[in-house]
This record gives sequence, C-alpha cells and structure tokens, in this order.
Amino acid sequence: MSEDKFVVGIADMKLAQRGDKLITYALGSCIGICLYDPQIKLGALVHIMLPLNMEAGRKNAFKYADTGIRETLAQMAVAGANRTKITAKIAGGATMFALTGGMLGNIGQRNAESVRQVLKREGIPLLWEDVGGTVARTMEFDSATGAGTIRSYGQPVKNF
Amino acid sequence: MDIKNYSDLSSLEIDTLREIGSIGTGNAATALSQLLGKEVRITLPEVRIMGYNEAIEWIGGPEIITAGVLTQLGGEINGIMLSVQQMDFVKLVISEVLGEPIEKFEQLREMQTSTLMEVGNIMLSTFINALSALAGIAITLTVPAFAVDMQGAILEAPMAAFGGQSDYIMTIGGNFVCDGKQVPCRLLLSPDVRSLNFLLRKLGVMDE
Repeated sequence: MSEDKFVVGIADMKLAQRGDKLITYALGSCIGICLYDPQIKLGALVHIMLPLNMEAGRKNAFKYADTGIRETLAQMAVAGANRTKITAKIAGGATMFALTGGMLGNIGQRNAESVRQVLKREGIPLLWEDVGGTVARTMEFDSATGAGTIRSYGQPVKNF
Repeated sequence: MDIKNYSDLSSLEIDTLREIGSIGTGNAATALSQLLGKEVRITLPEVRIMGYNEAIEWIGGPEIITAGVLTQLGGEINGIMLSVQQMDFVKLVISEVLGEPIEKFEQLREMQTSTLMEVGNIMLSTFINALSALAGIAITLTVPAFAVDMQGAILEAPMAAFGGQSDYIMTIGGNFVCDGKQVPCRLLLSPDVRSLNFLLRKLGVMDE
C-alpha cells in the first residue's frame, strides 16, 4: 500500500486516510487546523487566512476560520467521521511583520482567537496548539496516527 | 466605471499599471545603483493578478528563506508595498555596501539587517515618490518592518491584508540586473481595489 503526501494550499483543505500525509507550507499569520477522527483514521488539514467570512456569496469557505472549519467538519462527516470523536491541533497565527495597527494589525492573533472560538462552538476539543510568535511554520500531519511536525526557520522541529 | 475585482481591469488599465511599475522600479534601480556604486538596470516590469498559491509558485516556492521589507501605504491610497530580497540580492548588497562576504541568512547580524532594511526602504520610498509625482496624489509610508523567513509567509502579508476583498493578489513591480546578472529583488506594490480605482482615475485612464 503506497502512502501519498498531499499539499494543502492557502485557503484550501484536503482530507487524507489510510496513512496518507497532509502538508501545508509557510503558515505566517494564517492557521493550519488538523482535524482527526482516530477511529476511522481520517484526517483533514485546512489552511485559513482570515478570522471571519463576511464576503457576499461566501464562495471561498476555506479562506476563513469559521466557514473553513464548518465546511471541513461537514466533509469529514460525509466521509464517515463520527463528530464526537474528532479532535483538533492547530499551528500558525504568527506576526511576520511588527507593525502596529493598519490593515495587518494582529491578523495572526485574531485568526487564533477565531479558530479557538469556532472549535469550541462546534464542540471539537483542541488538543494541541503552536500559535503566535514571529516565525513561519510548515505543518505536516499523518492520517495514520494523528501526529505531525512543525518546521520553522532556524528552530528545532516540533512534534505534535 | 469602477472595477470590483482585479480581474476586471482592461488592457489599457493594465498597460498603465505596467508603466507605473516601470517608472517606479526604474527610479528604485537608480537609487540602488547609487548605493552600490554600480550600474543597475531593470528587467521588464510586470503587472500580475494571481491566485494565492499561484503567486507563491511565481516567487519561487513557499519555503525558500528570504528577507522582506514591508511598508503600509496611507494618505490618498491604501496598500502594501513589499521588497522581497532573495539570497543573491542580500549577498550583493552586503558585499558592496559593507564590504564583507555573506553566504547564508543565518550570518545576518544587526548591522547587516539594518543595512538590508534601509536599502529596501530607500527603494520602496523612491518607487512611491515616483508614483506620487506621476499621479499627483499624496501617499504616506509607515516605518518599514523587516523579516527573514519562508517567503510564502512573507507574501501572505499583502494577501491577508486584502483577502476579505479578493481571491487574487495584484502585484506591480520588477526585477533588477546588476553585473550582467539578474538580481532577485522584487518590489511588489499591492493596492486595495478602492485605491486602484482612485489611482486609475487620477491617471486619466478610467472614466468618471
């Protein structure tokens, strides 16, 4: 049985099962959310960019924390996941450029707050987080185990 | 008529933006040339409207480490301007300005980072001054911020700033050539959609 690694882009989501891996590169202020049902070994990784979807038409659900998490949970349910078994691990939400206020003011922090709040509302336990700071993160996630790694520039690899 | 999305731009409007890129980048090249004491030319300026993931592939992939100098534009237009400095550009600047060799980003110390930030700042300000004079509009710049990290995360900053308005990022800018070699330093201007309408109207290419 061959195992594949699927790349999740920005404002994107992919599901993986049977030991396939998911990776998303260079999370800055964006957040990567790994959702996992250990019983059927189904994983999802969604890469959101902004906290709340207030766009007319709401076309691109995965760009936002609220619609991104909800749409991912819906697709996991279609793939057979049991909602009560799903847990979450998150990374990202950094401040890449130290500017006060303006368009970029605290986007990372606001993303993190929104992700935590949406997970709580949806009743999904948040098992682990590596959020904030000033460094970019590449997040890799293994659907066989629900474990993964975080790689950052100039720092040791973190396991989750 | 106002555009609602970057993809609504007509070819005349794109040509006008390319001309802004040409004049802005040309002025920045002159400033860089004076700093380095060497001839610096520009390659063909580009106006690109790209999806997020396309933009990251275009700049060379998400995980390459680069230096970024970022400033926010205010006054009559809103936007972000970014100077993305890949390693060959960093080598050139540090060796010509400070007279010392550098091989890796890990070797950057305070003196080197402040040099890169200042060089980036001068190029960004020169670009914006040219734009401001051309369109007859007042543009202010914030104090620049500097980061060395994966370039995907650096490019994410202008994307996130305008992500609520568009699934695309528009960049106007160009590359430099020095000593016969292409030097990977891109100057990227990303205005928001409202400011783009204002700018095109000021330049006389968009009807009232």
